[in-house]
Amino acid sequence: MSKPKFVYVTFIRTTPQKLWSALTDPNFTKQYWFGMHHETDWNAGSSWQLVFADGRVADAGEIVEVDPPKRLILKWRNEFKPELKSEGYSRCTIDLEPIGGAVQLTITHEIDSAESKFIEAVSGGWPRILSNLKSLLETGEVALKT
Amino acid sequence: MDKPNFVYVTYIASTPEKVFKALTDTEATARFWFGNAVTSDWTIGAPVTFHRNGELVVKGEVLEYDPPRRLSYTFHSQHDGLYTEQPSRVVLDIEQQKDQVKLTMTHDDFAPNSKVFEKISSGWPLVLSSLKSYLEANRVLRAPWYDKETAAAS
Repeated sequence: MSKPKFVYVTFIRTTPQKLWSALTDPNFTKQYWFGMHHETDWNAGSSWQLVFADGRVADAGEIVEVDPPKRLILKWRNEFKPELKSEGYSRCTIDLEPIGGAVQLTITHEIDSAESKFIEAVSGGWPRILSNLKSLLETGEVALKT
Repeated sequence: MDKPNFVYVTYIASTPEKVFKALTDTEATARFWFGNAVTSDWTIGAPVTFHRNGELVVKGEVLEYDPPRRLSYTFHSQHDGLYTEQPSRVVLDIEQQKDQVKLTMTHDDFAPNSKVFEKISSGWPLVLSSLKSYLEANRVLRAPWYDKETAAAS
């Protein structure tokens, strides 16, 4: 029985440096990640939180690996929905690879259990967030305004 | 035994009509689908063909044509010796969400141990990313596997 895993690949016409910045800088993330931003010092082993615009913690965990602008690995647990929080920590790997004038961005989000509502939830969230990010970097505007 | 399927969702700042048109138009697909131009009269049961540089690369048959909501056709790769595999199925669902489009591509009905499945799994994210760039920014992406062909041929 394989572990629940969500893999999403998108290609964005930008550079790895700009994409890395867009993925981590609060001024960027607030524009496309539904008002949210990361709180962390971005060092391996440090704590990490994804925070709503109103200050509530959406998700939390730890930086596992950080190699700008190529790879970021997070230990990631949902904090604001009890049924998702109870599933514990997932692992989220974010890979950036330059390809033909664009960057291939790969998200691999997985959890070590038989089934997972959390992975189901992020499977719906990631395409929205990354579609917004792609639009923002390529056109200056987000696709989805909520 | 699970049969594999590949599902890809993207959100595009466009209209259902424009998205549907781009997916069914010879000139548009030639641009965003790396030269793979689609031709069909889109009646149910009619042939669907993709040609690149004059070569037939994929053929199939129209299963569903419901503009601008749903498009489905069979998918039979013709190149790289893949034609020995049975045809698979592509379904494109187009849904208006506020002023955006949610596009869901489901590719299923693969033969067991399908080699086509492996290829389309890396192909679709690039094709649909290119479609999004085409409709939003009037720019397309390049497919690195064609770059390698060009390099090998020179």
